[in-house]
Amino acid sequence: MVSSFLELDGLTRRFGPLTALDNLSFSVPSGQVVGFLGPNGAGKTTTMRAVFGLTDLNAGVVKWNGVPVGQAERRQFGYMPEERGLYPAMRVSEELEYLGRLHGMGGAAARAATATWLERLGIADRAESKVDALSHGNQQRVQLAAALLHGPDVLILDEPLAGLDPSGIDAIGEVLGEQARSGCCVLFSSHQLDQVEDLCESVTIIDHGRLVVTGTVDDLASSGPRRLVVRVEGDRDAAWARGLAGVSISEVDGGAARLVLEPEVDSESVLRAAMAAGRVNEFVFERRRLSEVFREALG
Amino acid sequence: MTGGLIAAVVAVFLALRFRSRLRRRATGQPTQHVGLDSVTSDVGLVALREVKERFRGRIFRVGTLLILAVVAAAIVIPTLDRGKAEPLRVGLVGSLSAPARAAVVAAAHGVGTTVQFVPEASEAAAHTQLRSGDIGLAIVEDRQLIVDKPIATTDTSTSAQFVFAAANNLGVLAAVEAAHLTPAQSSQLAAAKALPVSSLQPGKAKGAVQGVSIIGLILIFVMLSQYNTWILIGVMEEKSSRVIEVLLSAVRPIQLLTGKVLGIGLMAFGQATLIVVVALALAKSVGSDLLHGTAPVVLVSTLAWLVLGYAFYCWVYAAAGSMAERQDQVQTLAFPLSLPLIFGYVVSLTAASSGNPADWFKVLAYLPPTAPFAMPVLVGLDAVTWWEFLASAVISVLCTVAVARLATGIYRRAILRTGGRVKLRDVLGRAAG
Repeated sequence: MVSSFLELDGLTRRFGPLTALDNLSFSVPSGQVVGFLGPNGAGKTTTMRAVFGLTDLNAGVVKWNGVPVGQAERRQFGYMPEERGLYPAMRVSEELEYLGRLHGMGGAAARAATATWLERLGIADRAESKVDALSHGNQQRVQLAAALLHGPDVLILDEPLAGLDPSGIDAIGEVLGEQARSGCCVLFSSHQLDQVEDLCESVTIIDHGRLVVTGTVDDLASSGPRRLVVRVEGDRDAAWARGLAGVSISEVDGGAARLVLEPEVDSESVLRAAMAAGRVNEFVFERRRLSEVFREALG
Repeated sequence: MTGGLIAAVVAVFLALRFRSRLRRRATGQPTQHVGLDSVTSDVGLVALREVKERFRGRIFRVGTLLILAVVAAAIVIPTLDRGKAEPLRVGLVGSLSAPARAAVVAAAHGVGTTVQFVPEASEAAAHTQLRSGDIGLAIVEDRQLIVDKPIATTDTSTSAQFVFAAANNLGVLAAVEAAHLTPAQSSQLAAAKALPVSSLQPGKAKGAVQGVSIIGLILIFVMLSQYNTWILIGVMEEKSSRVIEVLLSAVRPIQLLTGKVLGIGLMAFGQATLIVVVALALAKSVGSDLLHGTAPVVLVSTLAWLVLGYAFYCWVYAAAGSMAERQDQVQTLAFPLSLPLIFGYVVSLTAASSGNPADWFKVLAYLPPTAPFAMPVLVGLDAVTWWEFLASAVISVLCTVAVARLATGIYRRAILRTGGRVKLRDVLGRAAG
């Protein structure tokens, strides 16, 4: 499989005095699901809109395989905007066929792809329903189908998991994984960090329109100071750990203390201190959770 | 003309589709299209969706049937009245000489009707029938004319005009008889015909043409209002439903907008063509005045200006629609846009009715916002030459190009701005960008 990539290079967008994107650069390789994270107002939606030319840029360029993206390239991209948008009075199948054809598909191919994706997403029985007659979750599925119908090279999804029940999240997660494995570049934003951690190979975190951190979930989780989870019987507040040099308590949950160790601290000295305080029921090295990476990255 | 325009647009569109299909087959590329081909395909797809969705809507079908019914009624009812015009019944007390009878018949013909004589047994019987309305006029022994109620000299009804004419003719006849002319001379005088009256100004009687002008004005006003409102609401709905982001991720704003105005425009011209064809066919079958004189020319010029008027206004309404997000905002925006339409319509209606347009009205025929109303009226009044008509059309086309450029700029800037009504000053400064 030839590796492709979407490259965002120096994107800058100002709205009056507000700088939404500030020389933002990162790339999305094919074959991976990339989570796009940041607090509210960080510039995620503006970045995604910039990929589709839906917002003017003051500077910067979006490239596909090294070539600046134009309309011909964008027709091969799939987009699910944050604010869902479909013609409410059109029938589901007709609407999808129409959108497929706008992406350059022939009539027969659009019809076949519509049937395939409606079946795949479990809403084949609603093909002849009007969009506004569907539940929120099913409208979300139709919106996803609209982004996938034409077999896009790049899939950009803005908050695709918002408002979905667990089965809907699983279904979308499965589809995103399949798309990535078939060579598609998949970038999606979300506030549900645990789910992002489960679905993504990589994450990119931005804040105030600037790149904060980017990398694979494995690298980010295993980087930074070592973490220990220690549980000492009878000490629910982890009082034994307070005052240990080079050790800070990140969280205490039901007697289990999450400890962050400075580089010079020896984990065995921590174990000894715990054993001195009582019987040690749990002593585990832990990877950073994505939520911790997120919080630490944003200070 | 409109039918030809639609045929031309459809032919160009089909030719391009056919060419692209052939090319795809030849190159083995099943689905993808680029460049001009994809542009025309996208515009065609958008236009086709508009046509399909609008045609499905009840408003279009019911509206078309309603307009057809009104037009059919306007054409057929006058001819029904003419065909069924009942003869005026005239009661005769005593005898009526042949010359007098001829004079009364001539009076009836003179006002466009016929007469039926009813013998009366006595003057009292005639009075009774006058009061009951069985007869409209009683003539007693060639000398006296009796009606039920006094008739004002300003009364222009057919029956009143007939009574005046009959009274006049019988008076003249009495004078002739008093002059003791020979019967041959009397008959000759009784059969006298009015001399033809020639006019200094060229042209024909304006009645039918005036009617067509007014019908054309109503048609233009109704259709421009209706279809431009569709554009306004259609653009607003794409914005408010947020489908616009999905659409613009695949096609350019100019393609989307062009497809929309083309699709809705085709609906408008299709409907107008249907109405005109039905009107002409009906007019021919019932022998209406619609086909006489310059009326067909007025009809054709009405259609031409419907095209030009739609082309001018559709961009303005689309730009306005892109600035709104809710129905109440649409109403606020639609009101000022409707003012030139209403102004053009009202002054043109007045000019068509008076038959004597003022000089300032002629100026309106060269201004694109009012020309669609004013120019067909001038055509109907025979007050414009072909090159003046053409000059006005060229001015309208040139202004349409400028307005379309400005409007697409505004549309492009405003359509993706959500969270409240977009102010014109926010998008106008950068519209050309």
